[in-house]
Order: sequence, then C-alpha cells, then structure tokens
Amino acid sequence: MDPRVLGAMAAPFAAAAAIYLGRRRGAEAWTYAAAGVSLALALALLPAVRAGVAPEVRLMGLLPGVDLFFRVDPLGLTFALLAAGLWVVTSVYSSGYVRAMGLENRRRYFACFAASIGCALGVAFAGNVLTFLVFYEGLTLATYPLVAHKETDAALAGARRYLAYALTGGLALTAAAAWTWMLAGTLDFVPGGFLPPRLAGGALAGLFALYAIGYGVKAAVMPLHAWLPGAMVAPTPVSALLHAVAVVKAGVFGCLRMVQYVFGPDTLSSSAAPAVLIAACGVTVVAGSIAALRQDNLKRRLAYSTVVHLSLIVLGAALLAPHGTVGAMLHMVNHGFAKITLFFCAGAIYASTHAETVSRLGGLGRHMPWTFAAFTVASLALVGFPGLCGFVGKLILARGAIEASQMVPLAILLGGSLFTAAYLLPIVRAAYFDPAPNDAVREAPGLMVGPLVATSALVVVFGALPAVINLQYELAARAAAQIFGGAP
Amino acid sequence: MNSTLPALLFLVPFLSALLCGALGGYLRGAARWIALGALAATAALSFAGAALAAAGERLVTHMGGWAPPLGIEWRLDALSAFVAAFVAATALIVHGALGDVRRRELGEREPGFNTCALLLVSGLMGMIASADLFNLFVHLEVASLSAYALVASGGRGAPRAAVRYLVIGSLGASLYLLGVGHVYAATGTLNMDDAAARIAAGADPRLTILALAFMISGLAIKMGLFPLHGWMPGAYARAPLSAAALMAPLVTKVSAYALIRILFWVYGPAGLGRAPIVADLLCVTGAVALIAGALLAAREADLRRLLAYSSVSQMGLVVLGIGLANAAALTGAILHLANDALMKATLFVGAAELAHRFGVREVGDLARVRARAPWTAAAMAVAAFSLVGLPPLCGFFGKWYVLMGALESGRPGMAFAIVAGSLASAFYAFRIVERLYFARSGEACPEREGPAGLVAACALLGGGVAALGLGSDRVVALLVRAAIPGGV
Repeated sequence: MDPRVLGAMAAPFAAAAAIYLGRRRGAEAWTYAAAGVSLALALALLPAVRAGVAPEVRLMGLLPGVDLFFRVDPLGLTFALLAAGLWVVTSVYSSGYVRAMGLENRRRYFACFAASIGCALGVAFAGNVLTFLVFYEGLTLATYPLVAHKETDAALAGARRYLAYALTGGLALTAAAAWTWMLAGTLDFVPGGFLPPRLAGGALAGLFALYAIGYGVKAAVMPLHAWLPGAMVAPTPVSALLHAVAVVKAGVFGCLRMVQYVFGPDTLSSSAAPAVLIAACGVTVVAGSIAALRQDNLKRRLAYSTVVHLSLIVLGAALLAPHGTVGAMLHMVNHGFAKITLFFCAGAIYASTHAETVSRLGGLGRHMPWTFAAFTVASLALVGFPGLCGFVGKLILARGAIEASQMVPLAILLGGSLFTAAYLLPIVRAAYFDPAPNDAVREAPGLMVGPLVATSALVVVFGALPAVINLQYELAARAAAQIFGGAP
Repeated sequence: MNSTLPALLFLVPFLSALLCGALGGYLRGAARWIALGALAATAALSFAGAALAAAGERLVTHMGGWAPPLGIEWRLDALSAFVAAFVAATALIVHGALGDVRRRELGEREPGFNTCALLLVSGLMGMIASADLFNLFVHLEVASLSAYALVASGGRGAPRAAVRYLVIGSLGASLYLLGVGHVYAATGTLNMDDAAARIAAGADPRLTILALAFMISGLAIKMGLFPLHGWMPGAYARAPLSAAALMAPLVTKVSAYALIRILFWVYGPAGLGRAPIVADLLCVTGAVALIAGALLAAREADLRRLLAYSSVSQMGLVVLGIGLANAAALTGAILHLANDALMKATLFVGAAELAHRFGVREVGDLARVRARAPWTAAAMAVAAFSLVGLPPLCGFFGKWYVLMGALESGRPGMAFAIVAGSLASAFYAFRIVERLYFARSGEACPEREGPAGLVAACALLGGGVAALGLGSDRVVALLVRAAIPGGV
C-alpha cells in the first residue's frame, strides 16, 4: 500500500466530486489544488522508480484472483507525469479560455476534466488488464460530456460518434481480457509478457486483433481514427489535453502494454502481428498526412497530425527492439508537449480573432507574437528540428528501426517528418510573411498566453537540456531493460 | 436443518395481504404500515436465510411434518437464498420508495393495490422456496394473478394490456402445468429431488424430454424470452407507475430462477445430456434475444417500454448463460439475475419519479427534467452505464462470466453475440443519458425532484448497482459459487 499512488489518483476524483457538488466559484480552486497534489505525488514516486522499486496498491478483489491492482513502473510513471504535469498548465489555460469564450456549465466542465485526468492516471498505474479496462472505459465516460459540452447538434453528433468508437474499442478489450484470462489464468502485467509461450496461431491472431482494436481506437490508428477529427468540436483545452495527450496517449500506452507486457517480444517476433501493426501505422502516416494537408480547419488539421504522430509511437512499439520502446516512450511525452502547445495556440487565435481556418491566419504573426513564436517552436519540434524535443524521440526511434534492421519503418518515420513539415510550416510562413489583416488584432488574455509559452519552454527544455533528457531516457531505458533483459 | 423460515418467506406476505385486504377499507393508514412491515419482515427473513446459506446450512420446511416424497417441501439452499435475498430487498426498497406515487395515482384503490403487491411478493417468494414442481405452479399462479390485477389497476389502456398479459401469461402457466403433468406421468412424483433421482435412474426419456419442453416454453413466456415477450412492454408501460417498478425487476428474474432450478436440479447434466438440442436452443434463443431486445429498445420512444425491451435483452444474456451450462456461464446467469433486478429497479423507480413529478413519459421529454433532478438522473445514468456493461458496475460482471463461459466451451460465436449485444445496448442506454444531460428543451420545468424519500431510494439503488459490481467477487465467493450444482 503506497499512499502516494492512491493519493495521486484519488485527488482528481475527489476534486471532480467536490466541483460537482460544490459552488460554481470553487471549481477552479479545486482543479488547481488537485492538479498540484497529483503532480507532486507523482514526482514523489520518481526517486523510488529510479531506484528500481515498483510501488504497489492492492484494493478489493474484482474477480477470483484478479484485484483492483496498481503498480507503478517506469512506463506507467512516464505517462502519469505527462498527464499530471500538463494538467497543471491546462488548468490555467482553461481558466483563461472559459472567461474569454464565456463557456457555460463550468462546473460540469471542470468536474469531467478532473475525472478524465483521474482515469488517465488510473490507466497509467493499472497493474493488470482488468484494472486498465476499468479506467480505460472510465476515460471514455468522463470525456464524453466534454465532447458534447457545447450541446449543439454538431457537438452531440461528434460525441455520439466518439462513444460508438470508444465503446467498440472497450468491448473488444473486454473480450480480449476474458480470453487472456482463460488462456493464462492471470491478468497481471509482466515485463516481457505473461501469455503462455506456445500459443496456437489462430488464438494469437484473434487475441492480437482484439487488443489492437481495443487500443487502436483510442490511439486513432486508421481505420479506427474517424472519431478524433469529429471530437474537435470540444472546447480547445479539451482538444489540447485530452485529444492530443491523455485519451489518445492512453491508447498508445495500451499498445505498449499489450506488445511488451501481455504478449511480449518473444511471442510476437515469430508471428505476423508486428508486420500487420507496422503496415497499419504506415498507411495511417501517409493517409493521415494527406488528410492533414487537405484540412483548412486548424484544429482538424492538428487532429490529423496527432493521428500521424500516434502511429509513429505505435510503430516504435511494433519494432520489438529495445530502442524502439525507448523511442516510443520518449516521443509519447515529447509529442505531448509540442501538440498541446499547438492546440493552445489554436485556442488563443480563436479567442482573439474567431479564426478557425488556416486560410485566415495570414499575417497574424506580428499581432500575436508570443502565440506564433510558440506555434513555430512546436511545429519545428514536431518536424524533428534538432535542439527541440521532437528530435530526441525520433532519433532514438530511427536507431530502433536500424537496430531491428527494418528499413520500412525507418522510411515511414522519415516520411512522416517530411509530411509534418508540409502541413505545419506553411502556416508559420503565412503567419509571418503574408499581409496582415486590416482590423487590429491583439494577443489573447494572459491566462491563455502564459500556459502556451510555458509548454513551448518545455519543448525547448526537453530538447536541449541534457540533464532532463537523460532523466527521461533513464526511465525509458529502465523499462526497456525490464522487457528485453540487460542493463538499463 | 429443519426450519420454518422457507415457509415463512411466503407466509408472512401472504397473511399480511389478507390482513391488509380486510383492514384496508377502514384503516387505510394501518394497512399501509402492515404492507411495509410485511415486506421488511420478509427481507429480514431472507437475509437471515442468506446468512445461514452462506455458512453452508440448508434450510427445509416439511409441511405438517410430513417428510417428502409424501409431504410438501420448501427449502433454502445457496441458490434460492441468493435469489430470495435480492428479490425481497428490491421489493422492500421499491415499495417503500413509491409511497407518495402510490397515494396519488391510486387514491381509494390503494389498499387493494397493496394487497395485490403483497400477494405478488408472496407468490415470488414461494416460487423461490418451493422444492416441489406442482407447488411451484401454485405459487406461480398466485404471483401471476396478482400481477394481472396490478397491471389492470393502471390508467388508460391498462385493461387492454392486462387482458393481453392475462391471455399470454395463462398460456405460459398452462404449458408449465402440462410439463409438470408429464413429469408426474413419467416418474410418479412431484418432489424435485425425488423426480431428479428417477430421471437420473432412467425414467421414460420421451416423456421427460417432452415435459422439459413444455416447462421451458411456459417459463420462457413468463420471463419474456424473445420472441415470447409480447406481453411485457404493454404491461409495464400501462401498469400504474408503482406496479411496474415492483414487477419489472422481479417477475422475469424469478421465472428464470425456476428455469435454472428445473434444468440443473431436476434434470441435471445427465437428464440434459439426453437432449443436447435443449441447451443449444437456449443458447441461440438467448443470443438472439440479447441483440433483438437491445435493438427494439433503441428505437422505442416510451421510456417504460424501452426499459421493458431492455429487460428482454438482459434476460437473453441470462438464458444464454443457462444454455452454455458450464460453471462460469451459470455463475454469470445467476449473478445477472440480481444485477438486472437492481438496474431495472433503479431505472423504473427513476422513471416513476420523473413521470410523477414532471409528467415525463417519453425518452425525448427527459430533457425537461435537466438539472432539476440531479440525484435521480445520476442514479439512472449509473444504471444505464451498467446495462451497457461498463466496469466496475454490476452489469459488467454478469457479462464477463457468461463471456468466460462462452469462451471456455469453445463457442466464439456466442462470445461475439455478447459483445454485439453490449454494443447494441449502448444505443438505448446512451440515448437516455444524452437526453438527461445534454439535450436542450424549450420549456423549463418549475418542479424539482422529490419527495426526499423517493430520491434517496433511487440514489440507494443506483449506489447498489456500483456496490454490487465492486462486491461481486465476494457475492460470488459467498453464495453464487455454492449455488452452482455439482457436475456442471
């Protein structure tokens, strides 16, 4: 029983309950308090995990021999720190956004936001497939009101589509969990996998397909991605934290768990499953990039960019090589920093100009210097500019591909970067070099600009400060060492 | 152990019904308290019985001291104690919650209604405790006749629905009786244990299988098994609000219990093995009912009719579990009896409150109660999520065990049907949730939810849905595991 683990997860849920039942004015205060507590407790777990300890919490039994069980390993802690850390920043941004946009139903908004983060932390710390499933489905439920938040017909339609996809994924995962339990007699994650080593070909394929659908929906791997652009009707902070980081990364995180902790590289390496996954990722990168190029709506273009980059992370997991895993974990975090910055910028632009489309961004760079500086930094980071965070993950992913002597993934990786440049950099160019609009446009409120400057600073810090990169690398390498054996 | 407890389970409500009917005309207040007291006493007795059964006791009552096979026997083993406990508890909570609704919608007729309600509970408890095939029929008729009367006491359209229910229901009871007659012809006994011994010893297989077919058909009508569910939507939608809330959670579950009892205690694996088609038919019918019921519910406008179709779907899952006839599937089927009773009690009590307080009877009108009934809406939403089978609510675990059973017996088609049925359930369940929380309505309702007792009961039932889910492992370990017959 580690109180830090329990506290980090319980704080957001407690805040959600307090916000829902309490006064409207208290919503933001509760959010800040819970975000601070969660981040502090997650950081407090860092020394133990670096020392090779895995803090555990075992609650009540759910099934015979399967408990509600949490275990903090390097992979889980990485995801938890990402979600809790960015929640702090997003809370400030949310405060600015709800004021600037005059958002209604603020209590529901903040309560569901907190509950979503709680579920994301539950996913991160889950020690077995069933616990994972509980919070994975909870994440669907908690984010559904946020997508439907505006209550327009478009919002409700987007929310319904989101539910249909997410629940299908959840049910596939339920079936996969039941099957796994029958085959293995346990559901606890084990580095290197816990399924019996000699699985019949049909069972392996069926089980892998079920897991891949279950996690692929949230990771927006094509053809299971269509909910993500539709979910962009949500308020921008929701798109920023949940549909660029917490929800979709839960799917990616699930893919990593499935490949490395359920099946294990040894079981998968002799099957066609990794090749199928790599093929799906390759198709997603190309088709998603083309879709992004064709999108004029800024948030939807960013959503397709998310689709592409999530597939690059899944690709890392599918390489079944130590550096593939390390690179996937690094890019999971680093893409989060860059993408949340881009969404924050999109929201700031919308708040000041009500411009939603790329074609109306021309010349805004001079009027909104901070916003577009951040946008530029984050775009370059996603392209893979050295010295910014996106470069590190991609470099290690490339090393993983070479290590596994797989040239196709390497080509996908490089191609994805080129495409990223093609659909993001024209925005930057237009913002700075096109003629400015006639009406006076000013920078968004400080509560929105502050967070986006902060996250763009993170983009630089995680790309340029060796101490930070080393810490991040150390966690990822420790996870890879547990899975593949060898020294961290 | 000899005890009067099994007989008291149905005698207490039966005698109180007589008292209630006799006094009701003069002392309406006293009659109300008698009814409530009788239900409380029944619940207390059934919990005492469940506690003894969990400790491994088996309580039997021999009428007049005559031992079977001559005498009539009632008994409480793990299975009947489990079913009796949730039936009595649900009846108590529902009846206690709906006092105000009853007073307003029935007025003068309330004492007669209370008498019928007590007779219904008496019939159900008798069916549960009976260890005699013919006596089961007697109790079934007591329950059915009072149910017809309860439906008929509703408003416009109720007599028609009641006649329909009466005709179809009587057909079911007759079929069951015909089956009992055949059992008697083949074995010369009506006591369940005695008949089981003679069937196992090789009583005329043609007669016994025919008898089984008749009894299954009769009970299938009583439990609303698709496509024999025609009486249900009308009966539950036209009955008084307080009658529907009492009948819907209980009547079909107890009939399903009777089916389990006859299949696995009277016939047993040996008896069933002579006609394997029975189990297959139950599987297929259950799977079809599971999906068809959910699809019928998805396109239904009337809230209570929708809930009735949802029961058709959930009973399909139970029958599928019975048909799979292995330990895991049967655990799921038995557990799901309690799950669906609790979920339906929550939803019907909520529906009764909304109709009583806000005049809302259609799903589309639920938007009018928005933000006016937070506790009721939350309880109904929890029950709706549980119907979809989201963990860790109770509906998930019922599905999980049946799913395990399907996989263990190597029937992936049935597993797929369970998953597809869950997905289909999401359509109607989330329609309710969306209307309650996200739809806008032109007219604002001045009322607020209430009275306090009703809201508290609704919240209690909704909390119970979550508690039974989280505690399902304990429930299975204490009662359900012991309720699985040997040799399955």
